Amino acid sequence: MASEHQTSQATAPRDGWFVTTRWSVVLAIGRADSTQARRALTTLCQTYWYPLYAYVRRLGHSPADAEDLTQEFFARLLEKQYLARVQREGGRFRSFLLAAFKRFLANEWDRAEAQKRGGHRTVLSLDAAAAESRYGQQPAYELTPDKIYDRAWARTLLEEVLVRLRQEYAAAGKAELFDQISVSLSQPRGAVRYADIAEQLGTTEAAVKMAVQRLRARYRQMLRTEIAHIVADPAEVEAEIRYLFATFAG
Amino acid sequence: MSATRKCPQCGTELGPETPQGHCPRCLLAVGLGSEVTEPGGTQPIVAPKPPPAPAELAKHFPNLEILELLGQGGMGVVYKARQPRLDRLVALKVLSAEASRDPAFAERFSREARALARLNHPNIVAVYDFGEADGLYYLVMEFVDGLNMRQIEQAGKLSPREALRLVPAICDALQYAHDHGIVHRDIKPGNILVDPEGRVKIADFGLAKLLGRVPHGRSLTASQTIMGTPNYMAPERIERPQEVDHRADIYSLGVVLYEMLTGELPIGRFAPPSQKVQVDVRLDEVVLRALEKERERRYQQASQVKTDVETIASAPAQATRLVAAAVTPQTQAWKAARRRVKGPAIGLLVTGIFNWALMPLYVVIGLHLARNVGGINPSGMSVSFPIAMLLVAATSSFIIFAALKMKALEGWRMAVAGSVLAIIVSPGNLIGLPLGIWSLVVLSRREVRDAFAHKPT
Repeated sequence: MASEHQTSQATAPRDGWFVTTRWSVVLAIGRADSTQARRALTTLCQTYWYPLYAYVRRLGHSPADAEDLTQEFFARLLEKQYLARVQREGGRFRSFLLAAFKRFLANEWDRAEAQKRGGHRTVLSLDAAAAESRYGQQPAYELTPDKIYDRAWARTLLEEVLVRLRQEYAAAGKAELFDQISVSLSQPRGAVRYADIAEQLGTTEAAVKMAVQRLRARYRQMLRTEIAHIVADPAEVEAEIRYLFATFAG
Repeated sequence: MSATRKCPQCGTELGPETPQGHCPRCLLAVGLGSEVTEPGGTQPIVAPKPPPAPAELAKHFPNLEILELLGQGGMGVVYKARQPRLDRLVALKVLSAEASRDPAFAERFSREARALARLNHPNIVAVYDFGEADGLYYLVMEFVDGLNMRQIEQAGKLSPREALRLVPAICDALQYAHDHGIVHRDIKPGNILVDPEGRVKIADFGLAKLLGRVPHGRSLTASQTIMGTPNYMAPERIERPQEVDHRADIYSLGVVLYEMLTGELPIGRFAPPSQKVQVDVRLDEVVLRALEKERERRYQQASQVKTDVETIASAPAQATRLVAAAVTPQTQAWKAARRRVKGPAIGLLVTGIFNWALMPLYVVIGLHLARNVGGINPSGMSVSFPIAMLLVAATSSFIIFAALKMKALEGWRMAVAGSVLAIIVSPGNLIGLPLGIWSLVVLSRREVRDAFAHKPT
């Protein structure tokens, strides 16, 4: 867990998040030469590269190959011709990224391989060792690579939201409160013992209850905002959550 | 951490990699719009809607005359209704609409309802029919014109003895259902109905499971919020909800039993029932064994609980104590003791009166002896005779007084003294000897001494 936190904190710039990481920004102003669009896409990729790594590992590539492929894909993605295609295709960032990756794997691997050492490429700082240990922990069972990708995507997204939520609390000097009550986010109402938490924090049960409600509301808001950033249309937020929710069924 | 860990709430298999230890599925569910409830999702924040009025509901059920709203609970809304063609009263249970939004619900509903309809037992509320009408899932059930145990308890109508009388029937119903592979999962006073003839009927068999948002047929009661009654839930229901079996019902039965006897819930470090109210100490063992945290140490079958409770209730040595243990046990014990001392007290009274009545005889005999038998100094006689007479009169009065006090359970020592005097003072000891001994035996009993010591207010 600790290494994952460090990874996402180290790779995703925190300042100006709401401007620079929107998929809609990429879509709207993603001219080939737009620095802003390029920066937005780079940030998005640095947040959401792990699902692609998990996908390609599930396809049967070795950890070394998987790292190369992911790195190479991002390098090409951030080149001009891909950005142009992004604009034409639109849609959700999640499906765009996977579709582009599949295309890359099918058509361009050979060419990419040929150009690998000579090209002048953008290289993302991906923590491959952390990715591999993360992948190794995944229950694989009979999940398809697509499902692995979707699940890894959902986990990455949630991790991202939780990390930022904690940072927000920490910035307000409420890190301890967050650590105590965050468990309530995925628990049914009533499962968390407010009285115990209140005792530990030296506050009242009613205050803890209120804090939990606020946390849930804020978390919900952040999750939906984050998803709004990576879908083309804010109206798709609900559908995207439901889609991700459904990937964990069965 | 093992790779097959499951979310206790929704049953999703969790890898070791979970976002900060949360189940990703449940986390996503929090983000869902409140209008959507998916299987396994956390309950949306919706204000409880008032149940539809009987008239409103009538259009969905053309074959029923819906008479009145009986109640509303976590499981749904219950109406009293009539089937005109069969001319019988039924209970119509409309399940909470929220649960039925789950797409897998329909299939689960018909499967479970069919299993419930197969249960045919005098102590189980029968399911006559079930189905779906305009999106409302419903069950048509036997109508029980009575009260549930919660209502009876609240009305203060249940003595421990009466409560114990109901236990065998509850056990029979549970055993029957368990034998048919059905676990109730929500045994609580509100689900145990008693009709005016005192017959027990258990309602809502298996509904907890049906409404428990079970994803993909895994047998677990995922949502604790929908159950609403965690006080009656076995520990494993919370810790390992996937592994719940019939022994969870036995735990709940233990909670109900404890509550029926003591009026309290066995929460935390609780005292055994006999320390709270006057009941047979052997019942402590039964209750505590049903309440074992480890289900392996509990009763393994409901029928075993029944056997033990029946043995205790029928054992003659303990019967009086069970009789004594009623709504206000102190009063009951006191009344029992008073009945017990009534005989000897009247005996003492008679002895005292007998002494008084024989006093003239003493005088006559005394005078006769003084006159006719030589060697007795009439002057000495004139001193000792009245003293003896006075003594007899005083002791007789004391015996009468002690007997009256004893009858009212006042003055244990005085009663003992009265009994002793009744034995030794002649001529009353002709009958006072056996009566005094009887009285002493009764007075030496512990419950009688207790009754003397603690007069109820």
